Amino acid sequence: MTTLNIMVGEEQGNVAVTILRVEGDIDAATHKTLQDKASEVVDGGATHILLDLGGVNYMGSAGFRAIHAITNMLNDEGSSGLSKSPYLKLLNPTDAVGRVIKTLGFDVYLDIYQDRAEAINSF
Amino acid sequence: MNEEKVFGLSVKASLDNLQTIRQYIDRVGERLGVSDEALGDLRLVVDEAVTNVVIHGYGDNEGIVELHMEGDGDAVIIRIRDQAEPFDPGHVNNPQLDTALKDRPFGGMGIFLIKQMTDEAEFLTPAGGGNEIRLVKKGAIQ
Repeated sequence: MTTLNIMVGEEQGNVAVTILRVEGDIDAATHKTLQDKASEVVDGGATHILLDLGGVNYMGSAGFRAIHAITNMLNDEGSSGLSKSPYLKLLNPTDAVGRVIKTLGFDVYLDIYQDRAEAINSF
Repeated sequence: MNEEKVFGLSVKASLDNLQTIRQYIDRVGERLGVSDEALGDLRLVVDEAVTNVVIHGYGDNEGIVELHMEGDGDAVIIRIRDQAEPFDPGHVNNPQLDTALKDRPFGGMGIFLIKQMTDEAEFLTPAGGGNEIRLVKKGAIQ
């Protein structure tokens, strides 16, 4: 059984940024853990989320369904088209996860950063 | 001693076994000399295929999924067999990559990834029942 650990942090940049640091494999058995944790922080008032994928060795389509669901949680009705989300950004995906992000076209919707401080200040 | 070229795994079709299956792909991939990039793709496509077997094939029923992985020159061939209801991937639409994310329907990404990240992906219905997915990744073995 795969387990997914998610640590929640908050950093103040231009806005308060909630950081979800994910560790483990995100597959069909675990993606709901991520989705539920995001839902919990959004219900708690989080408006801008940085998803730190540095500890994720594997992410399949279930992980992208979770990311899709998180963008829907955060997206205001004014956002439309193919513009990138101002509310959800990704940090430090591995090369393998990065390739899947591109194959599924999620790089069109989400900014991806390698540097944590730069990511936080980009919101 | 003859070098073993075909490797098999038979496990209960369960999402709880996805990690075990990915580890099997890693182990066999290492034995076959598969490159890191190709191994990442194979881990992904097998995970996606087995996820579909568990969720869409067996559904609430219990069953077994069998995997066979072998090297053929520089290619890797993987067969995934189940005894679930016949599955037609023609019913699955590709994800709409040119649509705003909030307007994109969920689903369809698994089959899309399988087709994108392999050179051949055949969805077969063997005479004995069930399904067989045959995946070929060329240039995978260094």
